Amino acid sequence: MSEPARLPVTTQYREAFDAVRPSLRGPETRRASAFARFAELGFPGAREESWKYTNLRRLESRRFAPAAREDALRATVSLPAALGEHRIVLVNGHLRDDLSRIASLPQGVRVRTLAEPLADDAVAAAVLRWPAGGGTERFAALNAAMSPDPLLIEVDAGVRCAGALHLVIVAAGAAGTMSYPRVTVRLAAGSLARLVLHYLGDETAEHFVAAVVDADLADGAELHAYRLQAAGSRSFHIERIEVSAGAGARVALRDAQLGAALARLDLNVTLAGRAAEAELTGLFIADGSRHLDTHVHVAHRAVETRSLQDYRGVAANRGRAVFNGKTVVHEGAQKSNARQSSRNLLLTPGAEIDTKPELEIYADDVQCSHGATTGQLDPAAMFYLRSRGLSESEARSALTRAFAGTVLSRIDLAPLASLVHDELDGRLVRLLEQQP
Amino acid sequence: MLSIRDLHARIGAREILRGLNLEVKAGEVHAIMGPNGSGKSTLASVLAGREGYEVTQGTVTYQGHDLLALPPEERARAGVFLAFQYPVEIPGVNNAYLLKAALNAVRKQRGEGELDAFEFLALVRDKMKLMQMDESFLSRGVNEGFSGGEKKRNEILQMALLEPMLALLDETDSGLDIDALRVVSNGVNSLRSPERAIVLVTHYQRLLDYIEPDFVHVLSGGRILRSGDKSLALELERRGYDWVKQEASAA
Repeated sequence: MSEPARLPVTTQYREAFDAVRPSLRGPETRRASAFARFAELGFPGAREESWKYTNLRRLESRRFAPAAREDALRATVSLPAALGEHRIVLVNGHLRDDLSRIASLPQGVRVRTLAEPLADDAVAAAVLRWPAGGGTERFAALNAAMSPDPLLIEVDAGVRCAGALHLVIVAAGAAGTMSYPRVTVRLAAGSLARLVLHYLGDETAEHFVAAVVDADLADGAELHAYRLQAAGSRSFHIERIEVSAGAGARVALRDAQLGAALARLDLNVTLAGRAAEAELTGLFIADGSRHLDTHVHVAHRAVETRSLQDYRGVAANRGRAVFNGKTVVHEGAQKSNARQSSRNLLLTPGAEIDTKPELEIYADDVQCSHGATTGQLDPAAMFYLRSRGLSESEARSALTRAFAGTVLSRIDLAPLASLVHDELDGRLVRLLEQQP
Repeated sequence: MLSIRDLHARIGAREILRGLNLEVKAGEVHAIMGPNGSGKSTLASVLAGREGYEVTQGTVTYQGHDLLALPPEERARAGVFLAFQYPVEIPGVNNAYLLKAALNAVRKQRGEGELDAFEFLALVRDKMKLMQMDESFLSRGVNEGFSGGEKKRNEILQMALLEPMLALLDETDSGLDIDALRVVSNGVNSLRSPERAIVLVTHYQRLLDYIEPDFVHVLSGGRILRSGDKSLALELERRGYDWVKQEASAA
């Protein structure tokens, strides 16, 4: 007897798309062309460069069903402690008005979804866009096809919303649920917003989340973004963040990539206007058997633009992490300044981190630097601490905290900083207890 | 307190200590002198438990226990302290954190309770005054950006705080100017007591003007070739080490 031929994975997703299609809002043709783009690209093949170290076969082999709106609206969710003055909750990509708290938002800050009438189809189409290129274009397109409640956050010109908006993005419900949260942020000229992207989910159920965050910063706008990826340990999390910054605009993103069984983040930043600036820092901890992949791409497309990528990774046990940081200084982007640093720490012999910094420069008057290291804890420092009476695990823990500390100290949102510190400590305790 | 018998140790294939014997009793101060490469620092490292040194023969007994069987942290908790020749810079690990963790580790071993933040600060301020160190050192990373002299002071500060039974000082005088040498020596002398022992590993006699030893030993080729009182140090200063080696090989 021969095995029945396996359906191509896109067939599975087409069935899912067909099932949710009647309930989707926004321009139908847009949804259809988004899905067509996903189907055209399909899942990444083994030879695709940007998926060299991250294999999606396990994700492909699973069957997921889109989260139903009724279930998402009914699901009991235990909310995390507040990380900001304002809160929006998405459960399986569906907006939960009842759990959100946005009445406190200042005037000039609007939050809408496609569920509400948008000004025109052009706006809806802009909200349902997907970026061309990059390894996650396919998932961004799939998200544009499937996302039930694309969220649009707009800040009017000159409005400075200093209180953080805590976006709680939860994967809940039965195992095998897939969801497509989507957030579009539009900051008008000279405005400011603080945004926390907080992903979490059931620790035991296997979910698939394909998220998209799209941020447009007009001239002089400022976005302080914080990302805490604390998805459930059995779930798949794929995310595309796309940021475009106009003249004098500034984006700072503090990332903590801590959860999921398999996670991939593509963070693409385009410095489109003169003197636009991006400061991207992150920590990832691949313990247990987690696979965490972070791809950062910064494009300098205007003069006097500045970027910093400072990422630290920790891997232990059978954990594996990938960091790919690419900076491109395009022709004409003179007097740009690009710095990139990737430092990685392997806590146990079986762990692995693959890091690849890339720098492409097509302008001649620029300042660029990059560096990448992967290593273990310094034996001399270990001995020094132990010779003062600290146990081996205390010494390892102190040195690992110190390693992560420089990027964690950049999290200028106190409750989030302490949450990440606690999470790191908890991980270290569990990790070091397993040591002989 | 410390009894070293026929100690042989090597790094890789290179044997550095070749049958070293040393007896140190409570209340004594010993100076171990010798030319470069004689094995002085190796001895200090072996006693503190640094990795990479293999003891191939001999015993080290500390307060009746086999010292070599203990990992470095248990040696520290049992009252052995090594002041490093080259203290390591550990950015991101706060100096105050280390001092507190170290102090609580040894206090626990002695059956004393942990100090609360207030008691700890009072104690550490007191010791910092002794070492003429500014309090701002507390909030810095361990030895991070410290000058050579500041690192050595920090070592002795730790020692003064931990009050070890056996203090090993590995070339603590190297790289110190005369004022720093005086401060460091004061710190060491403050620990002198009938219950404690101090072993100074040094290249120069200069330190011994400030910390007066009861015994002076000449280490060369991994063995102690000659022992005497502090006058031996003065003789070494005058005549160098060669005559000791010549007399030893003649005998």
